[in-house]
Amino acid sequence: MKLNRRAFVGTGIAAATLSAPMVHAASHGKPKVVVVGGGAGGATAARYIAKDSAGEIDVTLIEPTRSYYTCFFSNLYLGGFWDLENLSHSYGKLASDYGINVVHDWATGVDRDAKTVSLAGGGAVPYDRLILSPGIDFVEGSVPGWDLSAQNAMPHAYKGGSQTELLKTQIMAMPEGGTYVMVAPPNPYRCPPGPYERISMVAHQLKANNPTAKIIIADPKEKFSKQGLFEEGWQKHYPGMITRIGPDFGGENVTVDPAAMTVDIDGEVVKADVVNVIPAQKAGLICDAAGLTEGNWAPVDGHTMVSRLDENIHILGDATNQGDMPKSGFSANSQAKVAAMAVRGALTGSRVFPAKFSNTCWSLIATDDGVKVGAAYEPNDEKIASVSSFVSQTGEDAALRKATYEESIGWYEGITADMFG
Amino acid sequence: MANTSGMFLSVIGGAALVLGTAYGWTSRNYRASELDVLTDRLAQLERSNADLAAKADETSALEARLSELETELAAALQAAEDAKQAAMQPVAAVADPVLQPEPDPVIADATGLEFGDPSRGEQVFAQCRSCHQIGQGAEDRIGPHLNGIFGRRAGVHDGFRYSDDMAMMGADGLTWEIETLNAYLENPKALVSRTRMNFAGLKDPQERSDILAYLRQFSASPQNIPEAAPTAQAREVELSPEVLAIVGDTDYGEYLASECKTCHQQDGSDRGIPSITHWPTEDFVVAMHAYKRQIRPHPVMQMMAARLSDEEIAALAAYFAEAE
Repeated sequence: MKLNRRAFVGTGIAAATLSAPMVHAASHGKPKVVVVGGGAGGATAARYIAKDSAGEIDVTLIEPTRSYYTCFFSNLYLGGFWDLENLSHSYGKLASDYGINVVHDWATGVDRDAKTVSLAGGGAVPYDRLILSPGIDFVEGSVPGWDLSAQNAMPHAYKGGSQTELLKTQIMAMPEGGTYVMVAPPNPYRCPPGPYERISMVAHQLKANNPTAKIIIADPKEKFSKQGLFEEGWQKHYPGMITRIGPDFGGENVTVDPAAMTVDIDGEVVKADVVNVIPAQKAGLICDAAGLTEGNWAPVDGHTMVSRLDENIHILGDATNQGDMPKSGFSANSQAKVAAMAVRGALTGSRVFPAKFSNTCWSLIATDDGVKVGAAYEPNDEKIASVSSFVSQTGEDAALRKATYEESIGWYEGITADMFG
Repeated sequence: MANTSGMFLSVIGGAALVLGTAYGWTSRNYRASELDVLTDRLAQLERSNADLAAKADETSALEARLSELETELAAALQAAEDAKQAAMQPVAAVADPVLQPEPDPVIADATGLEFGDPSRGEQVFAQCRSCHQIGQGAEDRIGPHLNGIFGRRAGVHDGFRYSDDMAMMGADGLTWEIETLNAYLENPKALVSRTRMNFAGLKDPQERSDILAYLRQFSASPQNIPEAAPTAQAREVELSPEVLAIVGDTDYGEYLASECKTCHQQDGSDRGIPSITHWPTEDFVVAMHAYKRQIRPHPVMQMMAARLSDEEIAALAAYFAEAE
């Protein structure tokens, strides 16, 4: 950052009006920020705070995995377009290039009075500001017959890494003419087009290797993201392979039996070879443990992403109830930058500008057939509100769809560079 | 140098001959070495003759080439003039085949690449104009100006911020000649893998020949570079002087830019999504206003630009122009 006259004056004013935190910082050494969760929200927030505060703030990132596998783009691995290695990222640069203290451990709880985060490995980490970006966990009992102990027989593959790999192995091992069943989640859930992009990618894989196989979706939702685009694509690329059973036909009334590998859809029992259960979702467990949730999600104020229940804790991404933004990696990354700016402003008196957010979700339907949906957002006192949006159109030409796919690859490279340095 | 050593050898050879004759005695070995020296001398003279002949050939080839170039330039100017006349004539005159510019391909060198038709090349060049200027008064914009590109070392043109890869290729000896420009235009990233030039490439060899012919017009005689359109070209959107004069707040630009960087990588990587790092501020401002007014088509960019004020666009332009 270059310091020009205007920036210098601006910083001076901000520092004068926010003198209390400066005194705080001086009397307690460097202010401490702890970030829980090293995904699109947490890694971005940690990096931006460390980068832009240039050593004025101590940043600790708590993340259990040493290699982070993105959930976004894992469908491309299922479809055979990407290798697993493409999805894997290390935290090395955040430590070496940005001086972030990366702790590979589980954060198990938050003592909001003492302002510490407890770790599964023992000990507690103190903070001046805490950022929680834990992603999702699953609502127990949302799909009768399924719980986490069944995730090997019936994978969710809705968190990146081993589950993604397991589901791919099961798809590749399907017998000729076998059946793949997806139990789709109710709203709201991570990555609205995700289940339907996954269906496209599974269909792409089966069309090449097992063309008589069938795909069934049991769906509790009337409508879903990019529905017209997906249905057009399925008709075009995978005719006769995919059947979706919506709520009108009992798609919301589903029970599974992992031992028998059957799915009961409104009384009709289907014997399946692969069952991909994507349960109803809620904020990552630590939000509940810290007492920061109302219902399944953690409410936040969109101006700074600060928790509505604790002024020293900011919450990002899928775990939040913020308003109109979808639960996506792009959204979490966008929210992280607003939170990083607010946290720096509060702790060091740096300039704070009005929050702006955006999101775009790309989906791949078949080879070189990419589509996207996106919107821009701004906060008001109620929520983060959509101010404009766009979506790909049905009937677009092949060149545009290919360019959209290539753009999505560019976005993946961009956002992962933005997260991990 | 070659001539000096040739003369030296000839003196020694002459001396050896004189010595051998005057004294009338020679060992067998001496005769043998004398013969060696004379043989060497003969070979030397033959080589000199061949060199002289080659140089004469080369000179006449160069003269012929120069005359070809002059003819071609005259033809190109005539063609341009004809096209201009034709454009100004009513329909009947345009249909007159005599007035149609004829392509006049010239063999460039032994690689088999050819310069095509510069007037067609000018049309092909239209897609380059949003980043590159050429002709009298051309300046560096998003890309460097292209006057005198032939023979120029890659990545060294003063005052332009090249990608690290382009600078490195130049340092390693990449020079812009017909072969290297042809390869770069066909697939820029195949030649310079992380070039900032966000262009997929011209796959049609004829288009490349034509554009190379057009570019060469601005290289052959730098003191006499013809006028070209871009410096007089209207902006994509008309912006008031006040809007163009806004001095961007780089701190604010840095925050706003964080939103851009989710997709546009700061280091200049541009797979699928163009790099916007180091764009001149005016080009940046014009492009963003073109998106804002939906003159440029991309839906994500239209949405992002729609909610940016004039000051915010200026702030972003100021930040990205200098971003490290």
